[in-house]
Amino acid sequence: MSTDPTVAAESPPGAQVKVQFITSHADISLPENTGPILVPTHLRRYGLSSIINHLLASEKPIPFDFLIAGAFLRTSLDEYLTANGLSSESILTLEYVRSLIPPLYLASF
Amino acid sequence: TIHLEDSTIQSSLSPEEARRVWSHYETVTRDLSLSLTEQLRLILAPTLATKMRGDFRTGKRLNIKRIIPYIASQYKRDKIWMRRSVPSKRSYQIMLAVDDSRSMGESGSGQLAFETLALVSKSLSMLEVGEISVVGFGNTVRVAHEFDKPFTNEAGVRILEQFGFQQTKTDVRKLISESINLFREARNQSSGAGTELWQLQLIISDGICEDHDTIRRLVRQAQEERIMIVFIIIDALRGSSIMDMTQAKFEADSTGSMKVKMERYLDGFPFGYYLVVSNVRELPIVFSTALRQWFAEVVDASG
Ligand SMILES: [Mg+2]
Repeated sequence: MSTDPTVAAESPPGAQVKVQFITSHADISLPENTGPILVPTHLRRYGLSSIINHLLASEKPIPFDFLIAGAFLRTSLDEYLTANGLSSESILTLEYVRSLIPPLYLASF
Repeated sequence: TIHLEDSTIQSSLSPEEARRVWSHYETVTRDLSLSLTEQLRLILAPTLATKMRGDFRTGKRLNIKRIIPYIASQYKRDKIWMRRSVPSKRSYQIMLAVDDSRSMGESGSGQLAFETLALVSKSLSMLEVGEISVVGFGNTVRVAHEFDKPFTNEAGVRILEQFGFQQTKTDVRKLISESINLFREARNQSSGAGTELWQLQLIISDGICEDHDTIRRLVRQAQEERIMIVFIIIDALRGSSIMDMTQAKFEADSTGSMKVKMERYLDGFPFGYYLVVSNVRELPIVFSTALRQWFAEVVDASG
C-alpha cells in the first residue's frame, strides 16, 4: 500500500469496494438517487473527500471526515476491511461530515 | 481436469437439504425451462440441417446465380445445379460458471443464480446437444460437474452442495484463464474426428469484477480459440441496479495532479456479450436471443 498521504497514484488493476455515501446534512447531501459507487480500496479520507467534492461539484473543495459504523475512518478502506475481518464483497456505508477540526489541532490532543 | 482445493469453501447445505432445494428450483422453473428448450431447439435445428450448395452438372435445384454465365458461355459452363450437402456433425460443450462469492449472497443474487442454473442446465440437458459442465468461482475456480458426466437430477443436487456464497473475492480473471484450459482439455478429449465442436461458456454472476483490461484480453484469447462467452448478470441488488452503478477512478490531469473521474460501471464491462436479468422469468427470452445472435454469427462466419 502506498504511504502517500494524498490520493495514491496506483494504477488499476486495483481492488474496489462498493460504497454507499450518506450524510445527515442537507446542504452537502448527494442527489437522492445516488446508488453505491465502486471506489478503489486504497483510498483514505483525502481520496474519498475528492469523490464527494466531485459529486457535489463544489467550487472550493470541502474537507470531509468519514464514519463507518459510528467510528472515524483513519486508515485506508483496505486497512479498515482487513482490521475488521470484512471483504471487498460487502457494501460499505460511509457517513460523511464536514471536517471541523484541522488535522494539526487534532494531533496535538 | 483441475480441482482446486480451497479451505474457505464450505458446503452450506446438507445432502437432504440440497435435494429438497434442487427439486424446489426445478419445480419453480419447470415451465420456463420447457419454453427455453423449445426456443433453443428452434435455434439449433437449422444449424443441424443440411444445406443446398455447390456447382454440379446434375442436381436437385438450379443455382440462379449460375444461369446468366451459363447462357453467356454458350451453354458451356453448365455446372448450374445444387445438391444437398452432407450435414456436418456438430457437438457442443457448454460450461455454466456460477459466481460463488459473498456478494452474491449479500445482494440476494444467490437464489436467482440457482434458479438460472436449474433452468438453463435442465433445458440444455433436455436438448441433448452435447456435454455440460458446471464450475464455481470466487477466490478460486472449482469444477462442480465435469463435461463427461451425465447431467442427472442427482448431479444437480451434488452441484448445489458445493455452493455457499462465502468466497471473499470474485476473481473473474482467474475464471477465464482457467476456463480456457478446461475447454482445451475437453476439446482434446472429445471424441469423433470430423465433428465440429462448439464451445460455450455462460457466466452467472452479479457482474462486479475487477481488472477489466486483463479480462478483456483473456476474452479475446478465448474467442480466438472459438470459445464463446456469454455473461448473464444477475441484477438483484436491492434498491439499485447494476445499470446505474458508477465507479470512481483517479486520473492524472495535465499538471500531474489526480482528478476524480466517474464512469458508468457497465461502460467498461469487459464482456462483449452480456445480458442483465433481474427476474428469472426474463431469462428464456433474453438468453435465447443472445444465443440466436451467436449462432447466426458463427454460421455466417463458417459460410
Ligand atoms: Mg462478488
